[in-house]
Amino acid sequence: MLKENISLSQLITLVINFLLGSAIVVGVGMEAKRDAWIVIIAGLFIGLLIISAYYFLLSLQPGKNFFEILEICFSRPVAIVMSLGYICYFLYIACRVIRDFGEMISAAILPLTPIEVTVALLALVIGYILYMGIEVLGRTSEIFTPYTFAFMLMLFIFLYGSGNIEISNLEPVAANGWKPIVKAIVPSISVFPYGEMIAFTVVLADVTNFKYSRVISIFGVIIASMLLLLSVFLIITSLGENIALRSNFPLLSAARLVSIGEFIERIDALVVFIIMLGILIKSSVFIYGGLKGLEYVFNKPYRFFSIPIACIVSMFSIFISNDFSDHIREGLYVDIFVLHLPMEYGVPILILVTLLFKKWRKDRSAGKEVKA
Amino acid sequence: MNKFLKKLMNINSKKQIPSNSTPSKAQEIEMKNISFETIKDEIKKIFGHTADLKADDILVGKSEAIIFYLDTVINTDFLKDMLGQTLESPVEQDIRITSVDELQAFGKKAFGVSGYKLIHTLSEMTETILEGRIAVIIKGVPAALTISFINSEGRTVSEPTTQTVVRGPKDAFVEDISTNINLIRKRIKNHNLQFEKFKVGNETRTSVYIGSVKGIVNEKILEEVRKRIKDINISAIFESANIEELIQDKSATVFPLALNTERPDSVSSALLDGKIAIITDGTPFILLVPAVLTDFFISSEDNYQNYFMSSFIRMIRYLSFMIGLLMPSAYVGVLTFHPELLPTTLLLSVIAQREGVPFPAVIEVFIMEITFEILREAGVRMPRAVGQTVSIVGALVIGQAAAEAGIISNIMVIIVAITAIANFVFPNYSFANASRLIRFVLIIVASILGLYGVLLVLIFMVAHLSSLRSVGVPYLAPVAPFIVEDQKDIFIRTPIWFQNKRPAYLSPTTLDKQKPQGSPSPPKQSKGGSGD
Repeated sequence: MLKENISLSQLITLVINFLLGSAIVVGVGMEAKRDAWIVIIAGLFIGLLIISAYYFLLSLQPGKNFFEILEICFSRPVAIVMSLGYICYFLYIACRVIRDFGEMISAAILPLTPIEVTVALLALVIGYILYMGIEVLGRTSEIFTPYTFAFMLMLFIFLYGSGNIEISNLEPVAANGWKPIVKAIVPSISVFPYGEMIAFTVVLADVTNFKYSRVISIFGVIIASMLLLLSVFLIITSLGENIALRSNFPLLSAARLVSIGEFIERIDALVVFIIMLGILIKSSVFIYGGLKGLEYVFNKPYRFFSIPIACIVSMFSIFISNDFSDHIREGLYVDIFVLHLPMEYGVPILILVTLLFKKWRKDRSAGKEVKA
Repeated sequence: MNKFLKKLMNINSKKQIPSNSTPSKAQEIEMKNISFETIKDEIKKIFGHTADLKADDILVGKSEAIIFYLDTVINTDFLKDMLGQTLESPVEQDIRITSVDELQAFGKKAFGVSGYKLIHTLSEMTETILEGRIAVIIKGVPAALTISFINSEGRTVSEPTTQTVVRGPKDAFVEDISTNINLIRKRIKNHNLQFEKFKVGNETRTSVYIGSVKGIVNEKILEEVRKRIKDINISAIFESANIEELIQDKSATVFPLALNTERPDSVSSALLDGKIAIITDGTPFILLVPAVLTDFFISSEDNYQNYFMSSFIRMIRYLSFMIGLLMPSAYVGVLTFHPELLPTTLLLSVIAQREGVPFPAVIEVFIMEITFEILREAGVRMPRAVGQTVSIVGALVIGQAAAEAGIISNIMVIIVAITAIANFVFPNYSFANASRLIRFVLIIVASILGLYGVLLVLIFMVAHLSSLRSVGVPYLAPVAPFIVEDQKDIFIRTPIWFQNKRPAYLSPTTLDKQKPQGSPSPPKQSKGGSGD
């Protein structure tokens, strides 16, 4: 089997779109209300820390992906059990991400089309892309990312041009004290979207130039955070915190305010494009993580699983919750403690400690041998 | 030893091309095993009852000889002259040829310039006769002398019909392969320009040349092309499109994976970029591989006009690609699912126009697009004499009359017209065809899922495009994977003194085109104090 590789420029676009993904759909840091921008800035640093930590984890065993490292730390039977857990986790997140998007489409774009159809078609496209391999995912993301930047900029210009941006909406800073802000930073934003970069522990192993991938992914995190910051800034300043809090899809609502010369109106399409690309990349990366796990467990090329898994993901993205509020509630109050914290922080820390311990023991024994 | 090798080679060639035209066992016979008297019958046996095979008895000096040729293939006027001047000329009266060496000496003396060839087996002889050579067999000599008298009558070099330019060379390739190679050689006077010959097609035995510039072309890619051409196992090749279909990396795609052109200047500049030209006998279209998507948006005229203008035109091409692809589906999607996306006044005007139209938008678009495709096909296939009729009737059907009859709305006419014209902007016809097909898929999807569906299909299309490869080179090459140095001649054309590197995605053997230099500038004025 030919080893697939993605280039550094593809990696950076993947990181950017991954972080934008569902964060830009449902809005992030909204618990802090008008101080959401502080949350994003704090999140940026947490994100840098997290991606550096994951990179450090991988660099201890270069060329191995997350699942293979699990085997090195523990034995294969234990690793298989843990991998199955991670496969379910990755696929579950992919379901959630796709559900976010499906809800948005059926609420705002195609109200008469059943959500099952929109979700299934998106999942099939993802399945096709992953069937073609991670390279194709990287290239697709590379081609569309410039448009994300251009559209984001256009959105800013149009909102500014139509006079919707009120900087005073940001004031006063920390009116409700720092408690809600801190609460929004830990744990909320550190697990979603930054902690979710755990999926990159699988992708990073495929990068051609592993040495530089730390710098590149750090740049990716910075750029993505800037875009998130811009989106939150646009949302809060144009909508005001009250409407922003009540809106299910705040960026889309903000885009609907645009009206220039009674001609440039309703630029929803731009926002839908940004969101769709983010969702596509994010869920693809997660499904890819799951597929790689399956490859590890069953010793079969992951391509064979891609279409069936895409179908399963599309099905479960409907089954995981009854409606949108249920879906959001689950994400905000249940997943964080039950899934995100142990999967994104707990197990990686365990692995890190084990790896370092093994390394230390090996060094010591090697030192002893030299002495002897 | 030599004979053994020859035998081995013959066996090899038989293994490679199992077909009708391969010599049967009888034809494998070497010349020395057949007597001079029976050779006529042997040749007749091979060719059967074809009327154009001629076998004439002549005298070469004092020796008896027979010449074989196909009088429909060779130039008979030349033959007559040649017979008078060399073979039967009075100067050679007393010559007597008895051995192969003497035959060779004679051939060298008489036809040294025009190219003679000695052959030793009947199968070779059959092949050379078919190629348009005459074969001379002299009594008692176990070999045949063949001389080329190919009748290269054909179209003369004329203006290109499909890839026209306003400014630039006006010659185009023709059907004759040696003329085509001549046109390229005239432009690149370089000994590194090399052509390798292959015979493709088990029945047609078509000559195919692979042209490349040594020292520029990537040897690995060249080897891959060579391998693919050799591996072709097909009965007939009539056009380079046949070859294109047989060597492309993936069949299940609507996108052309090889660039075809009839312009010698395009081929020459591509060769110097490190591409490989596949030249097929009998067609004016030459294939260039590896082809990437952006190649289809580049016309050779881009280099012949101001680079600001060229860059602008190139932008227009990409824009018109998007228009040609998306216009009808966007119309359907917006009108069916998202009318709120249109500014109110525009929406009102569109709705007012569609007032009396009995069809939903998707049916309207389909009627018009299909009508246009029919007209277009009719325009290509019809006999020239009835051309007028089709254009007049066509203009009526697709134009004002249809709108006045209330079948379709006026805006629909505009959309179909823009789409059609945008589709003709491509410098390369085969790529326009791909976008024509995808357009229909987009219209159907837009009628079911609106703009969301259009976006999905676009993402699917891009994913498909990025999975394609042309002779191993990614189809979206300088864009994805992104290569910074190659961006000088992709979306915009930078001045040619600035493009000092060959495209890196082709991984050429030497990357540098020329030494980096500045922009041309007026001579520096030497002022009194400035120089010191």
